[in-house]
Amino acid sequence: MVILTGKTIISAVRPPYSYGGEFAGQFMFALRLCWFPLLISTIAFGYEAPGLQAANFLTLFGALDRLGGFFVLASIREFAPFVDAIVLAGVAGTAITADLGARKIREELDALQVLGVDPVKSLVVPRFLALMLVTGLFDVYALLFGIFGGILATLINHAPIGPFFATLFNNADTTNLWGSVLKTTLFGAIIAIVCCYKGMTASGGAEGVGRAVNQAVVIAFMGIFAFNYAFTQVLLATHPEIVSVPR
Amino acid sequence: MEDLIAVPRGWIEAFGEIVKFCSKIVGEVFRLRAFRFFGETLRQAGILVVGSTLIIWGFVFIVGATCGLEGGYFNNQNGVPAYSGVFAAWCDLRELAPYAFGYMMAAKVGTGLVAELGSMRISDEIDALEVMGISGVTFLGATRLLAAWMVLPFMYLVSIGASFFASYLVSVQQLGYVSSGGFFVIFWEFQNPPDVLFSVIKAMAMATMIVLVGIYYGYHASGGPVGVGTATAKSMVLNLVGVHLIGMLGTQIFWGANPRAPIGG
Repeated sequence: MVILTGKTIISAVRPPYSYGGEFAGQFMFALRLCWFPLLISTIAFGYEAPGLQAANFLTLFGALDRLGGFFVLASIREFAPFVDAIVLAGVAGTAITADLGARKIREELDALQVLGVDPVKSLVVPRFLALMLVTGLFDVYALLFGIFGGILATLINHAPIGPFFATLFNNADTTNLWGSVLKTTLFGAIIAIVCCYKGMTASGGAEGVGRAVNQAVVIAFMGIFAFNYAFTQVLLATHPEIVSVPR
Repeated sequence: MEDLIAVPRGWIEAFGEIVKFCSKIVGEVFRLRAFRFFGETLRQAGILVVGSTLIIWGFVFIVGATCGLEGGYFNNQNGVPAYSGVFAAWCDLRELAPYAFGYMMAAKVGTGLVAELGSMRISDEIDALEVMGISGVTFLGATRLLAAWMVLPFMYLVSIGASFFASYLVSVQQLGYVSSGGFFVIFWEFQNPPDVLFSVIKAMAMATMIVLVGIYYGYHASGGPVGVGTATAKSMVLNLVGVHLIGMLGTQIFWGANPRAPIGG
């Protein structure tokens, strides 16, 4: 997988840049496949985990207005990126593995190589770039709808949403936002490499493709969360100003 | 206009098919037909234990560590580092342990079922079973569901433990904002047995849904080796949406109107 990552990055930056059409196709494919599951998932997640539970907790202190501040931590820094990554890995990533695995089984990849077309350049690079871009962009979408879930939770508690926005914007800062977007972009890279690798090395007939998808999604999930932990730790430790004072 | 209605109508039809098939499997289990193949059930339970346990515990452990990390920093920011235990108790037990369990179940067990049953369908093994007079739904579907019900509650209880352990490690040993004793006082204060029961119910609802969806997509796979891969990918979509919806409903029902906290009125 590391070799594939290296090859992908090298052939992505080295001309000729012949992968434009495939890139756009994959981008639209991931967009079309993921927007609806992501919409439902982020609203549900935002409404209940940070929304309801935290609102319950804060209501006990009569401090429901702090919910907005909590959403900076909850939605922007943590939940929106990982729900985003889980949905992308589960929906777009599995589709990519199934697609590439099918091509591998039908020996289309070998045929490409015989024709002198580099499969890494023509298949992996566009998927890699498209998933990175789409995961990064979907992060913004996910955190908007996560915050919408928080607004729902505020309204359920019969509280005005003005204070929610006030504490949200007081606590929100650019470090959290770029951290979130950078993190999801790298999640996209992990998903693309794992899923492409598993698809391109699928073998063993009918069960092989299914098993490749299975392994790809398990490895992608583990990778995402292990990376998430390391990234959050580094971000918080190197930017103490975003966690030092409540605003 | 016709096209506009066609898409949602397709979804509703597919959903109806899934519900019909799943209620058949559940019926087979409740009418005790699955017990005729109890040996197969035990074999499936064994596969589940050997194949999936460690990876699920590992995943829940990492998620628990993330929870502890965010909780430690958040409580320190608000000037109450001693209350990191609340985060471990609520975030792990109520929300993220069921979610992490659901995600990994969907990824490992759900797609595994689709791949396995799908390849059986493609290589006509299921038809062969029917010809031999053994009901495929009972022998392949109901036994797997029963095996899941036998194994998963215990697996889930241990994975709650794994997430607690991870949160403890991160909050107390790594960040060190709170002493071990202080952590546990708050930690045990903010949870009680019904909370664990609710959490198990939530996770079991997710697991049942995932196993049923996996069996459905595997049993109805078609179109050669490619079809198995596509069915596997499709099952993930439904599983992810379902896990989030069940999580939301569970929280709303169990904790929506009653925070079950040892403070306030």
